[in-house]
Amino acid sequence: MAALGCLFGVFALVVAACGSDSSGGGGGGGEKVSGTTLTVYSSLPFQGTSKEQSTAVLNGEKLALKQVNNKVGKYTIKFKSLDDSTAQNPGTADEGQTAQNARKAVQDKSTVFYLGEFNSGGTKVSLPILNKAGIAQVSPSNTAVGLTTDEAGADPGEPQKYYPAKTRTYARVVPKDTIQGAALATVMKEDGCKSVHIFNDKTTYGAGLARNVAGAAKKQGITVEGNDGTDKNAPNYRSLAQKVKADCFVGSGVTGENYIQVFKDVAAASPSIKLYGPDGVAEEAFTNPKKGGIPASIGQRTKITVATLGLEEFKKRNNADAEKFFADFKSTYGTSKPDPYAIYGYETMKLALDTLKAVGDKANDRKAVVSQLVGKTKGRSSVLGTYDIDKNGDTTLTDYGLYTIGGDGTPSFQKVIKAQQ
Amino acid sequence: MSRLPDFRESRWGKVLPAVVVVVAVALFPLFRPPLDGFMDDSILALAYVVMALGLNLVVGFAGLLDLGYVAFYAFGALATGWFASDLWSKIGSEKGVHVGVSEFAGSLPGVHLNFLLIVIGAVILTAIAGAIIGLPTLRLRGDYIAIVTLAFGEIIGRLAQSGDQISPGGYKFSNGRQSISPIDQIEIPFFNQFDSATDLRPYYWTVLAMVLVVLFVNIRLRDSRLGRAWIALREDEVAAASMGVPLVRTKLMAYAVGAAFGGISGAFLGAYLNSVNANQFQFGFSIFILAMVILGGLGSIWGTVIGAVLLAFVNNRLIPDVLNDVPSKVGLDFNVTELSFGIFGFVLVLMMVLRPEGILPERRRKLELTEGIGTGGDDTVIEARA
Amino acid sequence: MEAASVNQPVAARPSTSARARDLLSKYGLIALLAALPVAYGISDLINDGNLSRLGENIVAGLSNGAIWALVALGYTLVYGIIELINFAHGEVFMIGSFVGFSLYSTLGLTLATGPLGLVVGLLLTLIVAMVTCGTLNVMIERVAYRPLRNAPKLAPLITAVGFSFILQNVGVLWEGGSQRGIPDLIDAQKVLVTVVGVSVSRADLLAVAVTAPLVFLLTTFVSRSRLGKAMRATAQDPEAARLMGINVDTTISLTFLLGGLLAGAAGLIYALYQTQIWYFQGFTAGLIAFTAAVMGGIGNLRGAVLGGLIIGIIQQISDNRDPTGLGPELTPAIVFFYLVVIMVFRPQGLIGEETREAG
Repeated sequence: MAALGCLFGVFALVVAACGSDSSGGGGGGGEKVSGTTLTVYSSLPFQGTSKEQSTAVLNGEKLALKQVNNKVGKYTIKFKSLDDSTAQNPGTADEGQTAQNARKAVQDKSTVFYLGEFNSGGTKVSLPILNKAGIAQVSPSNTAVGLTTDEAGADPGEPQKYYPAKTRTYARVVPKDTIQGAALATVMKEDGCKSVHIFNDKTTYGAGLARNVAGAAKKQGITVEGNDGTDKNAPNYRSLAQKVKADCFVGSGVTGENYIQVFKDVAAASPSIKLYGPDGVAEEAFTNPKKGGIPASIGQRTKITVATLGLEEFKKRNNADAEKFFADFKSTYGTSKPDPYAIYGYETMKLALDTLKAVGDKANDRKAVVSQLVGKTKGRSSVLGTYDIDKNGDTTLTDYGLYTIGGDGTPSFQKVIKAQQ
Repeated sequence: MSRLPDFRESRWGKVLPAVVVVVAVALFPLFRPPLDGFMDDSILALAYVVMALGLNLVVGFAGLLDLGYVAFYAFGALATGWFASDLWSKIGSEKGVHVGVSEFAGSLPGVHLNFLLIVIGAVILTAIAGAIIGLPTLRLRGDYIAIVTLAFGEIIGRLAQSGDQISPGGYKFSNGRQSISPIDQIEIPFFNQFDSATDLRPYYWTVLAMVLVVLFVNIRLRDSRLGRAWIALREDEVAAASMGVPLVRTKLMAYAVGAAFGGISGAFLGAYLNSVNANQFQFGFSIFILAMVILGGLGSIWGTVIGAVLLAFVNNRLIPDVLNDVPSKVGLDFNVTELSFGIFGFVLVLMMVLRPEGILPERRRKLELTEGIGTGGDDTVIEARA
Repeated sequence: MEAASVNQPVAARPSTSARARDLLSKYGLIALLAALPVAYGISDLINDGNLSRLGENIVAGLSNGAIWALVALGYTLVYGIIELINFAHGEVFMIGSFVGFSLYSTLGLTLATGPLGLVVGLLLTLIVAMVTCGTLNVMIERVAYRPLRNAPKLAPLITAVGFSFILQNVGVLWEGGSQRGIPDLIDAQKVLVTVVGVSVSRADLLAVAVTAPLVFLLTTFVSRSRLGKAMRATAQDPEAARLMGINVDTTISLTFLLGGLLAGAAGLIYALYQTQIWYFQGFTAGLIAFTAAVMGGIGNLRGAVLGGLIIGIIQQISDNRDPTGLGPELTPAIVFFYLVVIMVFRPQGLIGEETREAG
């Protein structure tokens, strides 16, 4: 019996040989979709602390779709929303799940766009798969430098290792972290910081941004006293917080990596230190004490940078698209203070739809869509302002907004930061 | 009419169903699209079968309750992470070390070995790790072995999660909280290089081949002298020792061989998932595999296979894809995935209380377990001892 | 439970080599345990010129350790009486934290509540948390352990693990999968008094103030009361106890109840101390507390408390090391390493005597 089992092992290998010689169908770049239905996938983390923010992004996406009635030219758009987090791994993209989502999109022959991931660590997994299949991908929120360029903050081998097909198929609507690092440094300089201590959550996003902040701070003459990694599983960070002796602190992490506790402990250990957070903590789960966020007393000492501006600023710039967005969002979802990322979800979908519109009848041709997205998107007037997508897939927008935490616990816009680079 | 029983008892009667099943399983990918989600789940299920068979050997055959099996998975995956990626990019003055790989991988920095070499390396590494983990438990009994192996599993997991700071000579132990990626695609001599972004079928057949080889080894071991020594050890250690079973060697062999299976599967999974992420090396994984063995029947090879396939599909397919939306359809505000480990725990409790011998129990185990259960309490004293 | 042990014939005197080995392992263990504080004490003297850092670590370690001691007592009580590791005990502790937090936020306790209201409210919360966890523990015993009392050890262990997963899921559904910050009701880090350069905070006082009376009550109960005597008898020999007319089932349930009560108290203190709760906190806490129980000597109440305090101190010292490479992430690995060392070289722990079946 065992011998037969062995025989079938060999048999299986032989069949494998035959199987791998015949090319696996489906998935080459430049495929044309048949029929008049095109599918757009969105992949966001809905479990854990990310739920509210991802829902806001999703609502933004759905709003943009609703505004065109799900139609672009002669094509109908089908929209599928996927979750890239799991119950065991909440609050961020789970690698196995993300890979499954990407493969699902590749397998679906009518896919023309993939909106995601939300977390930079997740895009590292889905981008190579989608790139090989030639599917256009836009992220509403990835800021890790190495996804598009090899500038400061990227790891060796980036970005080539994400583009096995050697063409760029990925774009993002938020500026990368070289800019956010400079923005944080500029704010700290304006606030009179002489030294800064940085903590990072050791993820792709947090560690990369910390490097950017350290570099930018040094350039602006602020002494960097340390850049320490934090362990998500620790119940408190008091011992680490005792080591912070600088006058300013940057917590480079996302809420889901236990950064509420980090800020609480650092604030308690150094009662007069100024606290700064990046867009990873720009959500109510972090800012609102009623939702388990940092207490109000600490919230008053904290400033947050996000690559989005408030409604008043858009009004000042006469950005009619933005005003319309806020009005529509309020009438559809009933809130006049949407999560800072809702507008990014909206713009991500709008960019996808406008790209499809620009190629007209060729919207069913993945290659045409990709070359329109990365290469022909120039002077685009949008809710975020006017920008290009450069040849790497980055946006040319560089405005960062400075937010403080209002009395109601929500992030509220203060002013634009002109990052010194 | 009378010929049917003869057939069932005959050699062919035992073998034919298995043959049919294996052929069906081997051929089914030909009827599915190359990137099929169902095939993805099947590949994972088969990889877990290999692991469950390894754990079955330690817990089922030899009766050593190992709750830290994730450590062996970790070593297998890390072997792939070290030898098939650019993690150790310093080596060879940034040019890398390449043995038996295609030109694409051959141009990248880091160590890149052929997959078969990595499997061999993983086997050796995990077997040694198994023996080392087993050493402290030699004099301990049942639940203490569980705790010590659990502790080891946790130690290895946490070291891997901080692995980016453990880098003797500039060669990192792991990439810490971030994953080691991308991992080279599997290459087997005489076949084209695999590519998991376009076609999952070669991976499927590779893991199926692994399962068959591991099954073969398992069955031979079970019926061998070593296997009988393990069973003797499980039943009564003192009696076994007095019958001349070398306790230390037998126990260490159990750990080493069981660990090796985990290493093989870990190495495969590292390559298949295209990344090695230390966040997966948690206690929950050890319990996942243990549940498969228990569900199938401790000590029963075929039971373990069935248990592994069942639980893998429940975890990866039934809960997230099929059942997930059911509560919202009924009007409740949660997803079934949020209940996944509760369901798991519930299955464990149910199994042990209702049918601890598992789905397809080994004959000895069934007798042992059904004799002692359900009558806990003061009334046992009154029953005559059988 | 001190008498919950030795069944060796009294006449046999252990041989000198056995005694020597015993002494060697005992002092070896003590030396290993002391190595960490001594090493860091020396480095503190060299770096700072005084031992205040070590002193602070010891103080914080004692209060943390008090929490572990309460949980360890639960493990040791159960193990002493039915020789089973109650895997779900860590999760019962977690549920205690959750219940405590939910109750006091429902009661409307905030930082603004006056001291009297706070004390009364927290006392009420403490009682409710303790009772809930006690009941939970008893329920687990009825469902998971009693039907499997005569099954091989694997069965109840697995059931306990299953329960631990179910409880973790309850935690996830209750407060979500990520850590949940909770308001700092007692201003936990506020320094109350500074003694010889070492500051004692409110949280430290709370931990000791709740733990000490509970431990005292427990040990008195076990050693003086009739039910306590029944517990000790059952731990020593359940069948003999039955023959003497003790209702073994009820006694076992009582033991679980006591363990649960302590875990509930520990949960509340932990929540107030850390100002954070998480569904996963029970798993790590459970392992650490079990290490403490084993270190002191499983089955031995005083040992559990001693073990808890020692582990707390070791944890604090390890957390506050200057990280040249690995920082506080290494602490659980260090604790588990101690666990392995103890179980291999001295399974009877520091002061414990051996339980029914020698390890």
